[in-house]
Amino acid sequence: MDSSLNEQFSRIYDQYIEKIYRFVYLKVNSKETAEDITSKVFLKGWETYQNQAVDIKNPSAFLYQIARNSVVDYYRQKGKAKIVSTEFFPQMAENSQSIQEKAIIDSDFEAIKIAIQSLKKDYQDIILWHYVEDMPVSEIAQILGKPEGTIRVMLHRGLKELKGIVKEA
Amino acid sequence: MTNKDLISKLRKLDQIKPSQNWVVLTKSQILDHKPDVKNSFTFQIPDYFFNIFSPKRLAYAFAAMLFIIIGTFGFAQYTVPGDLFFSVKKITEQSQAAISGRAGLKQDVAVLGTRINELAQVAKEGRTNNISSAINEVKQSASKVVESLKNGDIKDAQSAKELADEIQKIKQLKTLADIIDTPEIISLDNALMGLVQNEISDLEKATLTEEQKESLKSIKEFYENGDYATALEEILTINKSIK
Repeated sequence: MDSSLNEQFSRIYDQYIEKIYRFVYLKVNSKETAEDITSKVFLKGWETYQNQAVDIKNPSAFLYQIARNSVVDYYRQKGKAKIVSTEFFPQMAENSQSIQEKAIIDSDFEAIKIAIQSLKKDYQDIILWHYVEDMPVSEIAQILGKPEGTIRVMLHRGLKELKGIVKEA
Repeated sequence: MTNKDLISKLRKLDQIKPSQNWVVLTKSQILDHKPDVKNSFTFQIPDYFFNIFSPKRLAYAFAAMLFIIIGTFGFAQYTVPGDLFFSVKKITEQSQAAISGRAGLKQDVAVLGTRINELAQVAKEGRTNNISSAINEVKQSASKVVESLKNGDIKDAQSAKELADEIQKIKQLKTLADIIDTPEIISLDNALMGLVQNEISDLEKATLTEEQKESLKSIKEFYENGDYATALEEILTINKSIK
């Protein structure tokens, strides 16, 4: 019984660890914090899975929901102040004024990563899920409990806002 | 920058990956973690519950159950009316009759025969507690036979002969005089009498040899003396020779 649960959750872990880590990392912009939150997400998931109190039909939605809540808790505990690792200090210190400059210096990769930080939280989530993780609109709608049409509109607006941030920078 | 460029750059973010050491270490730490049962409000099914359903235990349980069932059915064959497992014996009889395809008067006569034998056994062994149940069983079986006779189930003389024999057996249970005079047995006797009467009428209409005519005379005598069993036996002999 236990070994079967272990195997099942082990497969879920292998399938989602990178996705959840990436999702958290792009929100907190810190390797250590992302590792800390991600491990807590999976620990919580494992405890729920072992207790069988919840029938986990959609592990993706289940884990992303824990991750979202964990990130919110993290920022709440820190007084809504984003704690950023020192490795990102150069980029974040002059966020608004030097994104383009840093993008040129450190590559587009870093620029887009930082631009996402400036997006509204709801836009952030769906942009990351849809364009980075290739999550279909229907699944995003399921996670957020919103109609698919609303998600498409939000994706469109989010992308437009992100483009604006990148342009400004 | 076009949407396409932006999306292309967003897709590159999937290069962000955690270190493999951390992934492996975290996995082992998480999977080794046991939930805090004391603080958990969820229902926990104890491990022994699942142990009950292990294949080995299930096999033993099945074997034990099979043994009990076979034992019960085997034991039931030696019971008499009034015993705890007598109902099991009746179920077995019905099942055997269904499997062998035996039904109607033939089956009813066979059951009546068994019930009479049980009554005789109970009377012989002096099992006073079982006598009333045994008598009731005989009455019920006799009623069923009468019912079959009324429905015209009797087709072969062999069944009629067996029935006559069973009635004779009842009459031989002299120690149980109360059963002989019961309405069920009287009606059974009358039914047999009617049967013999019909057979005699048929034989009277048939073309018989001299020898058969002599036999018919004897049959009539047996009938008048109330010896329906012997009368039916003779009828059976004549019927066989006519065919």
